Amino acid sequence: MTGWFARIGWRHLVGVLAVLFSLFPIVFVVAAALNPLGTLSSTDAVPTAFTIDNFANLFARTAFGHWYANSILIAGVASVVAVFLSMLAAFAFSRMRFAGRRVGLLSLLLIQMFPQFLAVVAIYLMFARIGDYWPGLSFSSPWGLILLYLGGALGVNTWMMKGFLDTVPRELDESASVDGASHVQVFFQIVLPLVRPILAITALLVFIGTVNEFLLANVFLYEPNSKTLAVGLYGLIAEGVSRDQNFGMFCAGSLLTAVPTVVVFRFLQRFIVSGLTAGAVKG
Amino acid sequence: MRIRTAGVVAAAALMLVAGACGSQKKSDTSTAAKKSGGTLVIWADDKRTAALKPFADRFGKENGLTVQVQAVSKELQTNFLTASQSGKAPDIVVGAHDWIGNLVQNGAIDPVALSAAQKAAFSAQSIKAVTFNDQVYGVPYAVENLALIRNTALAPEVPATIEDLVATGKKLKADGKVSEIMALQVGQNGDAYHIYPLYSSAGGYLFGAKPNGDYDPKDLGVAKPEAQAAFTKIAALGEKGEGALKRSIGSDNAIATFTGGKAAFLISGPWAITDVKKAGLSYDVSPVPGFAGGKQAQPFVGVQAFYVASKGRNKAVAQEFVANYVTRTDLAKALYQAEPRPPALTAALDAVKGDDPDLQKFLDAGKNGVILPAIPEMASIWDPFGKAEAAVVGGADVPSSVQAAAKAIQEKIQ
Amino acid sequence: MFGLVAKILLLGLVAALAVWAAFPLIEAHAWVGLAVEAAVSALVFYAYLTPRRLPLKYLLPGTLFLVAFQVVPVFLTMSTAFSNFGDGHRGTKQDAITAIQTASVVEVPGSPEYALKVVTKGDNAIAFLLTDPAGKQFLGDAQGLKPVAGVPDGYTPLNLGEAGARSQEITKLAVPTAGGAIRSSGISRAYEGRAQRTYQAGCDCVVEAGTGHRWTAHDGSFVDAAGQRLPQGWRINVGLRNFTQVATDSRIARPFFRTLAWNLVFAVASVLTTFALGMLCALALHTDRLRGRTLYRMLLVLPYAMPSFAMLLVWRDMFNADFGLINRLFGLSVDWLGTPWSARLAVILVQLWLGYPYMFLVTTGALQAIPRQMTEAAQIDGATPWQAFRRVTLPLLLVALAPLLISSFAFNFNNFNAIYLTTEGGPFPADDPTAGATDLLITYTYRLAFGAAGARYGFAAAVSIYIFAIVALISAISFRRTRRQEEVYA
Repeated sequence: MTGWFARIGWRHLVGVLAVLFSLFPIVFVVAAALNPLGTLSSTDAVPTAFTIDNFANLFARTAFGHWYANSILIAGVASVVAVFLSMLAAFAFSRMRFAGRRVGLLSLLLIQMFPQFLAVVAIYLMFARIGDYWPGLSFSSPWGLILLYLGGALGVNTWMMKGFLDTVPRELDESASVDGASHVQVFFQIVLPLVRPILAITALLVFIGTVNEFLLANVFLYEPNSKTLAVGLYGLIAEGVSRDQNFGMFCAGSLLTAVPTVVVFRFLQRFIVSGLTAGAVKG
Repeated sequence: MRIRTAGVVAAAALMLVAGACGSQKKSDTSTAAKKSGGTLVIWADDKRTAALKPFADRFGKENGLTVQVQAVSKELQTNFLTASQSGKAPDIVVGAHDWIGNLVQNGAIDPVALSAAQKAAFSAQSIKAVTFNDQVYGVPYAVENLALIRNTALAPEVPATIEDLVATGKKLKADGKVSEIMALQVGQNGDAYHIYPLYSSAGGYLFGAKPNGDYDPKDLGVAKPEAQAAFTKIAALGEKGEGALKRSIGSDNAIATFTGGKAAFLISGPWAITDVKKAGLSYDVSPVPGFAGGKQAQPFVGVQAFYVASKGRNKAVAQEFVANYVTRTDLAKALYQAEPRPPALTAALDAVKGDDPDLQKFLDAGKNGVILPAIPEMASIWDPFGKAEAAVVGGADVPSSVQAAAKAIQEKIQ
Repeated sequence: MFGLVAKILLLGLVAALAVWAAFPLIEAHAWVGLAVEAAVSALVFYAYLTPRRLPLKYLLPGTLFLVAFQVVPVFLTMSTAFSNFGDGHRGTKQDAITAIQTASVVEVPGSPEYALKVVTKGDNAIAFLLTDPAGKQFLGDAQGLKPVAGVPDGYTPLNLGEAGARSQEITKLAVPTAGGAIRSSGISRAYEGRAQRTYQAGCDCVVEAGTGHRWTAHDGSFVDAAGQRLPQGWRINVGLRNFTQVATDSRIARPFFRTLAWNLVFAVASVLTTFALGMLCALALHTDRLRGRTLYRMLLVLPYAMPSFAMLLVWRDMFNADFGLINRLFGLSVDWLGTPWSARLAVILVQLWLGYPYMFLVTTGALQAIPRQMTEAAQIDGATPWQAFRRVTLPLLLVALAPLLISSFAFNFNNFNAIYLTTEGGPFPADDPTAGATDLLITYTYRLAFGAAGARYGFAAAVSIYIFAIVALISAISFRRTRRQEEVYA
């Protein structure tokens, strides 16, 4: 029995405890979403009454369907492109030695640290000008926002991927180079397949981050049908709106927001666990 | 070899460009469409966007133009200012009257020229609220202020003073009928708006008045001995005193505490009524009671208004909409139906108050109120004032808390 | 061959895009914009046509976006640190003058209210057809008023939609009269008004008609002799004033080091706790023999999938001293958000909840990269699982994750929402409402910049540059240490 615990049992224990910790506030949200009164503090941890009105109202009274589609479009495109861009950069940072490499890495980090609430004004002025020339790339359009998000693509992701690439033995691509493969072939045919798990995870992280992004999206998207989930849901409980009235709908919306993420995770799961093909790596 | 590759690539790329040029001509109509004008853009928060939409559409249809109502969920005022600065401002923005000072100092809104007859159609209080430096800057549509909402099943009598209220609340609590004496939102960092009626009843004030009736930022009431006395009385209601004011009751849960039957008294505004009705309580609305032997409790009176943007592209139509359409009774009624706040337009109020006696009760509760100061300096008050309130409610030393708040405010106003 | 075709297609796409983007710029005579666009396109072509510059080929795409949408805005913002940019000082002096003059237009006393029809003759300039309360009609244009009866020949009235298209002309038209000028109020009414305040270039001042009161331009505002300023100001350069103000302001100096210390603790604690818990979970689930592994993983990721601002609000409610779920569930009566240390513990706990799924995911990914043979080999050599973890797994994990931990530290150092949506920096000491127990430098800056009479962007930018410098220093030092690691494993 102790043997079982040492091998498997402790894993279940950690898993169960962590799941409890993870779910405990979410149960609260579920309860509020199913509660006909749907207020924040009248809700106890256990649902006392049951209704799906909050879900129905969400679709009937708001542009929830649009928000959902916009979020998936924006987050989907942004995550795929961002992962590709940062993978390219990470490959350079990890495999090549060039002047300004470390300064570049450090600057990547530092630029992320500037408070965005200040830069919003400059970003707004910039996109106001962009909108004068190319109306499709400005406010209330998903494409302008996607461009803006791609500005942050290198940021944290490059660091993460670079760290990861550093653990992939260099002999692999070096031997391929010796065999006459070009750097492009090394990148696409050797390195990319090797780092599939981290590509999948980065894509998931960017996806989640983009779905949750609020500050810039709120400034960008005015048209009710152009909003994303984060902006639209926030509007339900913003100042000037009776928060208690909409809290049930808000919780219902929050739960539905988690659905695409879980689906994406489910989809990426096989890449995440597939990992390195054991034979390709020398021990 | 490499050079030849480069040449091939460049040539092929050029051909693709040529292809792109060929298709370029077609898409040039979009700029022409933009210039035809005839659109009116309105910014409001989410709630009002929904209410305005049908009216905006009708206005547009009647007059052959497109009206877009767009919702900004957060930081509407800041976003409006940034948009104005970049020439992307909407034509009309909807917001509270205490924005006026800041909007004017940024040159973001224009005065609205209302005729004497049009002004007379509004309550005097609401016109005074949107008047800043002797100019009318907005067209009001709703008036709001705090009142006492009580659960008549638990507390049938209107409390004459706050002491009466606390006595009743304590008795109900001792009988196990409620768990809180009253629900007045404080929160961890205080709430200047909601405590102000009690503060004023205990003798405190925020700003003195200039000879012309405007607020004078040089005369800061929080720095005066009256403020100390007022906060001492508030502290006596706090956690170390009667226990009627608590930091654990905040904006998140004050209304829910009342609707859940945990308290017999709620001090809140017209926005709370929808929830109270939904909870099916029998209730009544009366003015916020003051301290025994003190002054009358004066709630802040706030006004929601329409403003014309200075940098809007369609100012003539915006002026028309605001001055001659918003002033119509049917729009005021529709906005009331979307959210039951008392209309500023007297005729609209008369039309709806028969069905909704609460409106008159809220107005009565605000009759002695003070108009929320619209001067930009007001922004410096909220935070330190609220924190002083939270501190004394939590049982901190009154003189040092109030002095610290006064100092923080003075440093900001300079 | 396939590679070459792909390259031609991609570069062709770039060129087509460049040409497409150039047309509006040419149309608008935006030559600077066009030059930038051409330079960027040239750089792209150079990078991919030259056989050299290998790193450039990989770095360029991301870097272009980075520069355009992050570096440029950040530098523009930083440059405002040298100005008085903020509420009341957003626009140009001309904007301020226009605003002052417009705001001072008052109705001429005793003047009539006119009913207005906007009319136009053919496609030419617009005019006002005015009807006074007595029924007399006038035609007004930029020259002045003349009496008419009905719509004069050749003129046609505009409906609202048409008027909307010519809104700017209507707003601009002021029909001169003896007492002032007749202006439109909307498109169905007009009134005779007069600007009470006018700008005079000679004295660079604003003068009030009648009283002669004057406000002289000074330091981005018009100020009168008594020191009262008009509300509408404009943006000017103030040199290093914001920086010296930050350095000498006692409000900033007083709580600075205390706030910095807590800020460091918060960032380190957030990173370490999330990493520790995330790694523990990842290790626990890192085996094929575990049933329900996929389900565990999906449930663990949920906190990260929920909108974080929603969950921050829920957590704040759960920590409520009297009504909160935590006190009720565990039978406690802790004033969580009311005392400094419990509030600090609470925000770190919330951070742990929000952040550990992230670390869990990343560690899971990194674990896949560690060849299982290595840990198995260690165990065959007689190491206990713990020793195998310490000697083999952890060092390898750290190679992969050290950069991420640093960037995670940087993120949490500036984690505005984590504080602002839970405690707002509180609890605050009773004698100092400016700096609270859980305030980070960034929330503290935010209050300084936006809590006063309007936003002060210039000042906030100056504070941010100081903070930036501190963080840069810390990061640079810790980064130097990773260099050694990198050299060991690379």
